Amino acid sequence: MSKSRISMPDGFTPTGHVLRDSPIAHIPTAMEALVTLYPAVWFDGPLSPAELEMVRLRNAHAVGCVYCKAARYDIAREDGLDEDKVALISRATPDSDLSAREQLILAYTDAYLNDPESLAEDVKQALLAELGTEGVAHLAIALGIFNGTSRGAVAFGGMPEEDLPVIPMAVPV
Amino acid sequence: MPDTAIDLPDWQTLQRALPGLTAKLDAYRQTFLQLEQIPPLTLVLCRCRMAQLHGLEAVSQDDLQAGVAQDKLANLGQWPSHDAFSDDERAALAFTEVYTMDPSAITDAHADAVKAAYGEAGLVALIHALGLFYAEIRTRLIWKTP
Repeated sequence: MSKSRISMPDGFTPTGHVLRDSPIAHIPTAMEALVTLYPAVWFDGPLSPAELEMVRLRNAHAVGCVYCKAARYDIAREDGLDEDKVALISRATPDSDLSAREQLILAYTDAYLNDPESLAEDVKQALLAELGTEGVAHLAIALGIFNGTSRGAVAFGGMPEEDLPVIPMAVPV
Repeated sequence: MPDTAIDLPDWQTLQRALPGLTAKLDAYRQTFLQLEQIPPLTLVLCRCRMAQLHGLEAVSQDDLQAGVAQDKLANLGQWPSHDAFSDDERAALAFTEVYTMDPSAITDAHADAVKAAYGEAGLVALIHALGLFYAEIRTRLIWKTP
């Protein structure tokens, strides 16, 4: 494992909150805004926890964030996302074992991650028909936050080189 | 695929469909315009460079209104050698370029240069701000939003 590029602020005391105990503690105003935003990503939109977790894990694999790949949010498990489904999501090419809705969500996710301009107009049409504007907005914002936090985790350094066992987690509120 | 074509919305229209979550995202974004740890205008330069790397027009009216020096915006592609840029800005722009292409390629030297310029808190602010910029640029590309 490489060494983390950031130490915690002087006088820092761990809180048990995964965001408050991360490097963003160096910038309290942004930390408080992120502490408000992150649970809203999970609870303030129409996509289900299992759908959001599918997006988060697809992103985690693409970015190579070992911690993000190991994390499993409890609300997604309760919503039906089991490890068999996680294995399907982790494949290079999502296949017909996933529902049409799930394949559309992953098509958007993959386009964002690989080549945003490649998302075909008919796929966007299908996404809007399936998710509605609220659902598409939810997908876009959630993916942007998941991607930013996982790219940040990699940039901060200290990432393990090997995959970790599954880490059950609750959404930090 | 749907039987009837829907007019594709732009990103602003989509965001308006989910005002509560959008407001929380905006509140998070706004905090980066008011930081002491790294000058907001340096972050604007980094966002403009990231947009350039995505093949977009680097400079928007918002960037001009933010007060970034025009010679910096005009010469952003030459930041390593152009004398409009300070060493601190060069450290942030170098970090931005590697972050944009592959965050796993960031080296301790990239991070140390940013910390020497803006401190540890400045590096944290830059990394989180770049995450927001990256998301906004790529989402705008998907929805063809200038």
